[in-house]
Amino acid sequence: MMLSAMIKKEFLLVIRDKHALLALFVMPAIFILIMSVAMRDQFSTNNLEFSIYLQDEDKTQMCENIIINVQNDKRFIILNKKKDAQFIVKIPKEYAKNSSNLIQINVQDSIKSDQIEVFKAIFSEHIIKARLTYISESLGNYLPNASTPLDSLEVSVDKLYKVKYNDSKILPNSTQQSVPAWIVFGMFFIIIPMSTIYVNEKKQNTLTRLTSMNVSIFAMTFSKSVPYFIINQIQVWIMICVGIFLVPYFNTPALEINGSILAIISVSIGLSFTAIGISTLIAVSAKSSEQATTIGGISNILLGAIGGVMVPKFIMPESMQQIAELSPMSWGLDGFLDIFLNGADIGIVIGNTLMLLVFGLITLIISMIILQLKINKGL
Amino acid sequence: MIKISNISKSYGDIKALDNLSLTIKEGSIFGLLGVNGAGKTTLLSILNGLIKIDTGSIDIFGFDIQKHKKEINKISSIIPQHLAFYENLTVKENLDFFAKIQNARKEDYEKSIEINSLTNLLNQKSSTLSGGQKRRLNIAIGLLNNPKIIYFDEPTVGVDPKSRNEILDSIKSYKKLGITVIYTSHYMTEIEKICDEVAILENGRLIKQDSLENLLSNKVSNKIVIEIINSKNTKLLNLDIEDDLFINTNQKELFDTISLLNKNNILIKQIRYGATNLEKYFLDMTGNNDA
Repeated sequence: MMLSAMIKKEFLLVIRDKHALLALFVMPAIFILIMSVAMRDQFSTNNLEFSIYLQDEDKTQMCENIIINVQNDKRFIILNKKKDAQFIVKIPKEYAKNSSNLIQINVQDSIKSDQIEVFKAIFSEHIIKARLTYISESLGNYLPNASTPLDSLEVSVDKLYKVKYNDSKILPNSTQQSVPAWIVFGMFFIIIPMSTIYVNEKKQNTLTRLTSMNVSIFAMTFSKSVPYFIINQIQVWIMICVGIFLVPYFNTPALEINGSILAIISVSIGLSFTAIGISTLIAVSAKSSEQATTIGGISNILLGAIGGVMVPKFIMPESMQQIAELSPMSWGLDGFLDIFLNGADIGIVIGNTLMLLVFGLITLIISMIILQLKINKGL
Repeated sequence: MIKISNISKSYGDIKALDNLSLTIKEGSIFGLLGVNGAGKTTLLSILNGLIKIDTGSIDIFGFDIQKHKKEINKISSIIPQHLAFYENLTVKENLDFFAKIQNARKEDYEKSIEINSLTNLLNQKSSTLSGGQKRRLNIAIGLLNNPKIIYFDEPTVGVDPKSRNEILDSIKSYKKLGITVIYTSHYMTEIEKICDEVAILENGRLIKQDSLENLLSNKVSNKIVIEIINSKNTKLLNLDIEDDLFINTNQKELFDTISLLNKNNILIKQIRYGATNLEKYFLDMTGNNDA
């Protein structure tokens, strides 16, 4: 009865804290949208689009073929005005005759070097194809029986190479990276409202009152953990829904869950334990709500930065990737990425889950010891 | 009966309580006086089982505090100085919560609401209550477990005079219910108004314990107060006190002082035995103006 009353009270307090609810549910959802859309082009290998202006000074059949190929490629938007084009491509006179006459590309200042490389690779596809056609047609005059099946000539960069990481992992797209990253980060947002409730109880003497009413430290800690555990689980599924249903409206790939639902639940439970453990530890150690908010905010950002939330781990240098392993956020993020990208089931992510559960339990036990010591000292 | 025997409590090098002994009668309203740092809050925390004593023993209604903390907590209640409830909950939600965690009986729950005049405020959010209403809710929560002992730690801080009187009246009514009240306050007039017995603490030690009647009676006072009307000329007499002066109960000194005042045209309003007022007595005992 005591425990149910405590849990009910915590639920009422959480539900009435509108700002905290906003921070816990709306902020991570907005983060997911912003980051998915903002990083769409950085992560994308298939959905590239380049606006170009074409200038053919050679006017030969081969160059005409290049232009036709480019016009048929959906990755290029052909513009009639130079001014708005990201790339201005000029095919020089006598290009077909002498390939040492280089194609000139003028690039907008905002275009990054990696985008230029991608552009060059894709444009090269069409040059090679046009050249092969030209050679084939030229040879055809001399060898009429050896016609090349041109339609089967595949020179697409995507079809020429298959890129795989050494550990067989597939590269995430922006949604697959953003959704798990901000789910993890969002779950740790509970640090601030949770620590505020603890500090307020200390400050307002309700903790003294509860202690004098024989309420155990376990009951106090457990009752506060339950609502936030449920909030965490709701957060996970709301963020996943944002990734699946909302993000595509912004011309960004939707989240695909390739792994098992049970695996998602398992990682979520582990992450929630850790988030609650760290929050409780900060809450019982802090002397004021200002201190708790500052420490909570900073530790959240630091754990996120180290753990691959802000910057994906796969683009970090190896030394940083090793440091990232120290952050519990990284354990959770790896678990989610395994599920979303590699179709992991519970057997694969159970290691991450156990690490998170153990970490959460240890921090909770330390928190209870600290709280008991503080109560013994008269807070 | 509450029997405190030779208890001491230190925080590092600081002695909060030093070999303190007290006896508090069952059903009485007992006032604890002392300046800041005298040890009042430490003593209340110890009696509530929130802090452990270093040495000594405490027996509360037959229970040893070191062995029967839970039993003692069941029969006692603390009304903290700060408002110890949840401002985001309604009055009813607060009362329901604290009632449930103590397994309070329905009749005690209802009595607590009635005594503290909270019936019409039950659905109001606690943060929207007035200062006095908040204090009443704070007290009502403390009554939910039908305690035999209630500890009040300055319960009227920041309360308007009307609400203060209501609170003091309700505390006086607990005596009729047989509840033992231990009351600390900075307001001496409150102690005078409601307490049967008073203990004065200084630096963690008991310097005086007696009934209020005895403290204020002639027997314990060794001073005579001469209240004067015009104090303009008192400086000529090298007297620091502006509106009255204390002198020893020595006949010669009394006559000499009266004669001196007459010569200097200082009018006397009243001559009485000292310490008819608790604050004066307290200041006299502790030699401190920071009550």
